[in-house]
Amino acid sequence: MRSRRSAKLPRHPLDPRIAGVRLSALGAHYRLRLRRQLAAELLAGAGIAVGVALVFGVLLANSSITGSAPALIRAVEGNARLELQARSSEGFSEALASRAGRVPGVRYAAFVLREDGELAGPHSRRAVQVVGLSAGIVALHGSATRNLGTGVALVNGGVGLPAPLAQGVGAHGGGRVELLVGGVERAAPVGAVLDSATIGSVAQAPIVIAQLGVAQELTEHPGRVTEVLIEPYPGADARVAAELRSLTAGRVNVESAGSELRLLEATAGPLGQSTSLFAAIGAMVGLLFAANTMLLTLPERRRLVAELHTNGFEVRQIQAILLSQALVLGVLASLAGLALGVLLAHTILGQSTVYLAAAFPIASHQSIDPIMALLAFAGGVSAAVLVCLAPMLVLRSSAPLTSAARGAEHSVQHLGRRAARTLGLLGASLVAGVTVLVLSDPALTVLGGVLLALAIPCLIPVSFDGVLLVLKRLGRRTRGSMISLAAIELNATATRSIALIAVAALAVYGSVAIQGARADLSSGLDEAVVEYLDTAQVWVAANDNFLTVDSFKDDGAAALLARAPGVSAVRVYQGGLLDVGSRPLWIRARSPLDDRMIQKSQLLEGALDRAEEEIRRGGWAAISNAFAAERRLHVGERFTLPTPSGVASFGVAAITTNTGWSPGAITINLNDYRRLWGSDRPAALEVGLKPGVSPAAGRRSVRQALKGRPGLRVQTLAERVASFQASAREGLRSLGQISALLLITAALAVAAVLSASIWQRRPRLASLAAQGFDHMQLWRAVVMESGVAVAVGCAVGALLGLYGHALASRWLQLSTGFPAPFSLDLGAILLALAIVAGCTVLLAGVLGFYCARVAPRLTPSVAFQDQP
Amino acid sequence: MSALELRGVRKRFSCADGTRVEAVDGVSLSVAPGELVALYGPSGSGKTTLLMIAAGLLAPDAGAVLFDGRDLATLSVREGALYRRRDVGFVFQAFHLVPGATALENAAIKLLGDGWTLKEACAAARPWLQRVGLGARLEHPSDSLSMGERQRVAIARALVNEPRLLLADEPTGSLDSERGAQVLDLLGELCRERGMPVLLVTHDPRASAYVDRVHTLRDGLLCDGLDIEPGALSISR
Repeated sequence: MRSRRSAKLPRHPLDPRIAGVRLSALGAHYRLRLRRQLAAELLAGAGIAVGVALVFGVLLANSSITGSAPALIRAVEGNARLELQARSSEGFSEALASRAGRVPGVRYAAFVLREDGELAGPHSRRAVQVVGLSAGIVALHGSATRNLGTGVALVNGGVGLPAPLAQGVGAHGGGRVELLVGGVERAAPVGAVLDSATIGSVAQAPIVIAQLGVAQELTEHPGRVTEVLIEPYPGADARVAAELRSLTAGRVNVESAGSELRLLEATAGPLGQSTSLFAAIGAMVGLLFAANTMLLTLPERRRLVAELHTNGFEVRQIQAILLSQALVLGVLASLAGLALGVLLAHTILGQSTVYLAAAFPIASHQSIDPIMALLAFAGGVSAAVLVCLAPMLVLRSSAPLTSAARGAEHSVQHLGRRAARTLGLLGASLVAGVTVLVLSDPALTVLGGVLLALAIPCLIPVSFDGVLLVLKRLGRRTRGSMISLAAIELNATATRSIALIAVAALAVYGSVAIQGARADLSSGLDEAVVEYLDTAQVWVAANDNFLTVDSFKDDGAAALLARAPGVSAVRVYQGGLLDVGSRPLWIRARSPLDDRMIQKSQLLEGALDRAEEEIRRGGWAAISNAFAAERRLHVGERFTLPTPSGVASFGVAAITTNTGWSPGAITINLNDYRRLWGSDRPAALEVGLKPGVSPAAGRRSVRQALKGRPGLRVQTLAERVASFQASAREGLRSLGQISALLLITAALAVAAVLSASIWQRRPRLASLAAQGFDHMQLWRAVVMESGVAVAVGCAVGALLGLYGHALASRWLQLSTGFPAPFSLDLGAILLALAIVAGCTVLLAGVLGFYCARVAPRLTPSVAFQDQP
Repeated sequence: MSALELRGVRKRFSCADGTRVEAVDGVSLSVAPGELVALYGPSGSGKTTLLMIAAGLLAPDAGAVLFDGRDLATLSVREGALYRRRDVGFVFQAFHLVPGATALENAAIKLLGDGWTLKEACAAARPWLQRVGLGARLEHPSDSLSMGERQRVAIARALVNEPRLLLADEPTGSLDSERGAQVLDLLGELCRERGMPVLLVTHDPRASAYVDRVHTLRDGLLCDGLDIEPGALSISR
């Protein structure tokens, strides 16, 4: 009968039937829903949007810092498949590069010279990398260089500036800028301002482009290059690589193209892993927020399903109605989440590039990965579908309407004790499993962190039951308090309370664990920095690069300083980055006359005095633990390093932390460095002052002596320590911001769901008021319920957070080699608790007071409706 | 002297479209101690509103409500709560039981507001639950009870403070005829036994057989006797 009637319905091409329901009817159903349940729908949408935003924002912010680098590197390298890499910033001879370009099998070769420096325009100064390119770069067809016709864009020996950089410093084509490279400042004409149409994604990078010859002049490296990009003929790669190795005789790295990417990935690894943990926690907070809203709207949706079923709608029609609502909600909320995520990534989560920029040409450009966006979007829509379709389960009942009515009041809100115990057991097993996992392999700590986060929702029900039991026992004996009422009411909304508690617990967990590890790392780095630098009272360097790897020409500066008033001694410090395998190692060459060769606080293996004496003697090195573990080295054993003069052998004098540089550090004697690197260019000058000379006076004296070298930076010990610590903290800033954001989001999520929950309870409060509870009693009960719920969440979150903190610090020390001794920061924990608990209790207090106050005055239709 | 007396009570509500509805229009009604009065009326006639006014939950726009000679309008917020807590028993049509809590806890909950410990409150509620025939279901969660059992828990909860006035909103609305009769019997018994005035709002025509007096509320106006179309009354299942 029904099908016959349906068949007679006229066809409307613009209003098709979906599962037997007209599109316009689906729209009408949704409009009706919005009219009746706008607040609930907005809350559900907010939950999904927040989840999508957290995940997408964190991933986007993280990918932006490293994600721009691959594009940048590929854009320059083009079709190059091999490259020669210098082992120091001074590079190798252009003659050697030319011979490499003539090796049989090489189709195209391009020479590159890169040197860190500083660009000064009319408006401001920026840290940049000067990149000199030979004409051959055009033939490699990189997206950044194929349009870069030599002699066209870079005219008359000038430099090319990417448009955003030129705009930032206030430079323009035809104008002049100052370039500070190697401690010398030079004026350079701006030959062209290059936009992304000309140089692709490189336009976002902080680089200054010049012809090779111009760059060699600007950097005072005549006839030197740091890189040769090679495109061999097809099939000739191996043969060409072997020829190149033979040609360079072990003095230059011969790598496959893209080696810099591998170095960057190794360096950014710990940051990426921490961010992944946050993304996972963020996703869980979002999912729980959405689940909370689902629990709030579930009774009403179940009732709707039952009503539709009773009114003759087929299951597929009900599914179509619910699914259409889910899709509208999911698509709109997910789109809002993506937009919010982009906003977060650009603002609060904006990552600092200071740390990685010390070694890589990192751009601040954020590129949106469509797959990442699609995944976050799909996650949001799936959550909405889950939220909307879950009520369909009511149709499994033989009498859906009755079941919905009863369910609305009861079973939905109550989790069985057995289920709670099973979940508790699962949670405890997860914690135990994480312990075993992390003890067996510290590198699995991030996975352990995610599993700990998963354990939280499992442990909440049993903790909640335990607290309820205690409350009930207290209430059985306590007179006049609202403890019993709060316990009874909490039990009545157990599932909802548990979901609420889980959000708070996850946020506190993430915050305590990551903030704690971050604080450990920060204090460890601070200590390392102080010990690294306090061998001199005044430092002279080419720039602020915290690795002190940019060398400069001495030109008698040390001799001048030695004669300056108040100066007792001047020692040369050398250093640089050396690419070994996937590690850009931080090489630190200290004068044998330095008070200290190794930072005592960073020593992990070996005897300090003996190790220092060995390094002073020469031929020995202190190596960081990750490098030692990779090479399976112990104190006393020997290892080799590829240096610019060939492979050199060192004895392991001591094993240290990575002293703040994730790929690792090696400390050697200055004389060894000079010999093996073939350079006497200092990276810094360490100036000791005579007794009684203040640092400020010493700095004045040094500046006076160096007035002919305005490009050199003179800092007192305190200034240099502060600058280094700021750089170290800048690198960790994003972790703190993500953690704070997570906490604030969770606090807002808890507050929003709690508000809706309290608002929905007005009829129950009205019924209690009708039984004679006064508004203060009701208010106390509401605040107590909220307080207890949040307290359970905070306690579970803080306990597991502390455990996660200990594991994370252990991971930082053992797996990444960072100095991060565990310490308990009660202040940070209390702050995290105060944000979540304060926000929640305050809101519960205000809203609870209002609802309790108006409860006795509610109109009959509200007060006596059948709603839990 | 009447225990409960309503004098010329009026109550208006504003509708969403701006019109005003006279929910209770000059109602005067008294219920003496030990008297069981039934109030009939079609849906929306103002019965529940009148009950809420009698419970001091709604203030009338005009007129007065006196309990034991005391005007409820003179009560402070706290005294109003105290009146409901100590003097009034309220049976809700929708039960308003707390899910997850046992029958005993539900019946005892009211006493918590009066400073009782849960243990004391449960001890006081136990005989009332036994009296309404739920002695064997004391520790059962309210979710697992039938509709009739839930209604009886709600009645036990209304009586646990040994009130001096019982207000019942459709107490037999969810019960079958046998259970409905038992509840009406019980209310009558309590009314007589304790000299307690009972005001009963109902649709159940059979209730008239158990009560002392019947009134009908139509469009906010009160009239004596059962003045309603037979079809408008529902018979307990």
